[in-house]
Amino acid sequence: MMVLLKHEWKQNVRNLLIWSLAVGAMGMLCICLYASMTEDMAELSESFSNMGAFSDAFGMSTLGIGTIAGYFATEVGVVHSLGSSMFAAIMASTILSKEEDGHTGEFLYALPVTRGKVITTKICSMVLSLVVFTTITTAFYILGFRIIDTWPDMELFAIFMLSQFLMNLEVMCICTMLSAFVKRNMIGAGLGIALLLYVYDLMGRVVPDAKEYLFIGPFGYANASEIFAKRDIPSAAYICGVCIMMMALVITYLKYTRKDLAS
Amino acid sequence: MIEKAIEINHLTKHYGKHRGVEDVSFSVEAGDIFGFLGPNGAGKSTTIRSMLGFLQYEGEIRILGMDARKDHERILREVGYMPSEAMFYPSMRVRDVIRLSAEVRGMDCKREAKMLCDRLRVDVDRKINELSLGNRKKVSIVCAMQHKPNLFIFDEPTSGLDPLMQNTFFELIAEYVKGGTTCMLSTHVLSEVKKYCNHVAIMKEGQLVSAGSVSELTHTSSKRVTGTIDGQQVDYLYTKDMNQLLEELHGKNVTDLNIMDPSIDEIFMGYYSKDADREGAMR
Repeated sequence: MMVLLKHEWKQNVRNLLIWSLAVGAMGMLCICLYASMTEDMAELSESFSNMGAFSDAFGMSTLGIGTIAGYFATEVGVVHSLGSSMFAAIMASTILSKEEDGHTGEFLYALPVTRGKVITTKICSMVLSLVVFTTITTAFYILGFRIIDTWPDMELFAIFMLSQFLMNLEVMCICTMLSAFVKRNMIGAGLGIALLLYVYDLMGRVVPDAKEYLFIGPFGYANASEIFAKRDIPSAAYICGVCIMMMALVITYLKYTRKDLAS
Repeated sequence: MIEKAIEINHLTKHYGKHRGVEDVSFSVEAGDIFGFLGPNGAGKSTTIRSMLGFLQYEGEIRILGMDARKDHERILREVGYMPSEAMFYPSMRVRDVIRLSAEVRGMDCKREAKMLCDRLRVDVDRKINELSLGNRKKVSIVCAMQHKPNLFIFDEPTSGLDPLMQNTFFELIAEYVKGGTTCMLSTHVLSEVKKYCNHVAIMKEGQLVSAGSVSELTHTSSKRVTGTIDGQQVDYLYTKDMNQLLEELHGKNVTDLNIMDPSIDEIFMGYYSKDADREGAMR
């Protein structure tokens, strides 16, 4: 198992570094811009909070963009949510199918290891990648706060990053399930799933009747403005997230261990 | 000591509505070199991929006395498989692929791997994406042989290999088989079967056409007749009694005549051909 885990990790590490450095650096740059925008913030904050549905969708009606917490939630929160979920989706939507797509399956599955163990190893490798991704981006954001010497509530920041990690796990599980069903890499479909979940959350915040169903999507419990505004996240959102993850994993194992592998 | 290295009983595999293989049964003796013949789409790869657990199937497959479904992992420990495509992770170096294959088995195969790389002239420092098909095949041979398995399964092993390497490959097989390994090789090259295999199974359209010893299957009363008769060049396969041939030639102007055994290609093509019955075309 450890040998395969190491192998899988090596296969993913380049993408992991590219994505985590890009998202982390982008977030840090956003944070650094906060200082230069402080003077205009009061005016901006006022106008942004009065933009109706747009303000609701991006959480600017909840938090003032003039504070570092509000600025981080509405700017960096979106960058991190989209960037990290896209990374999770790309990685997971090809994790199983890449063996058939790249014709390496006959090498891998001729080794004395069951498909169940291969799935477990690949999932462990992805979880590890998401831990490293979250750690690197967190380090970048903390560096950004240090540069501008302005700090948000770090407890809320930690809750936000952990919620994002959980959200990425959920996107990963859904996209891994997709990967178990297909024989060709479907990065587009994976990205589509991540974006669809994001748009579902945006729509839910704009359409009044849809607000009650926000908890179904993973972005529901990981929304930066909700977390930094100290609003209670309904426990149903977490329960729903865990259930979706479990269900996706069970389906992945059931499907992939019984599937005919393409040559 | 296991007598049968491979036992396949009533193997059936369908891909949706399409036929894969239908009710295939044959066995391979331990220590044998077994040829697996058939045209493209005959079901050879489907049979091999079922044996290795890549496909779900109906019927029973036993490898080295173990059930292919229940003892999948244990079987793969004892098997060295070389796929026809020989694809690896493109960004890896040859050395890393060979090491990965050994480490997953929890074995130290350095000495055997070095011997194989030396004999097959494998450059372990090169990246996989720089290799030609022939060189990837050589890496695949090393991965299949380095752990000294009890059973080799090779799917079209010599395609892409130069004649010198083909020779080395069969020398290696002979050495391992001498040490007790069984070898099953799927191939299109009929001369390889005649030269190296003891037994052979022939597949056609998803069904087993014939199985037996190479000498049995290549034994035929048919003769190839070439020559010049009544001023015309003739070249045909004669399947009837030889006395009847002499009667047919009686009274004709025979200026040149050769009567010889058909080539192995011709014999096996008879099994492959559409109108061949299950007993063999030229018997």
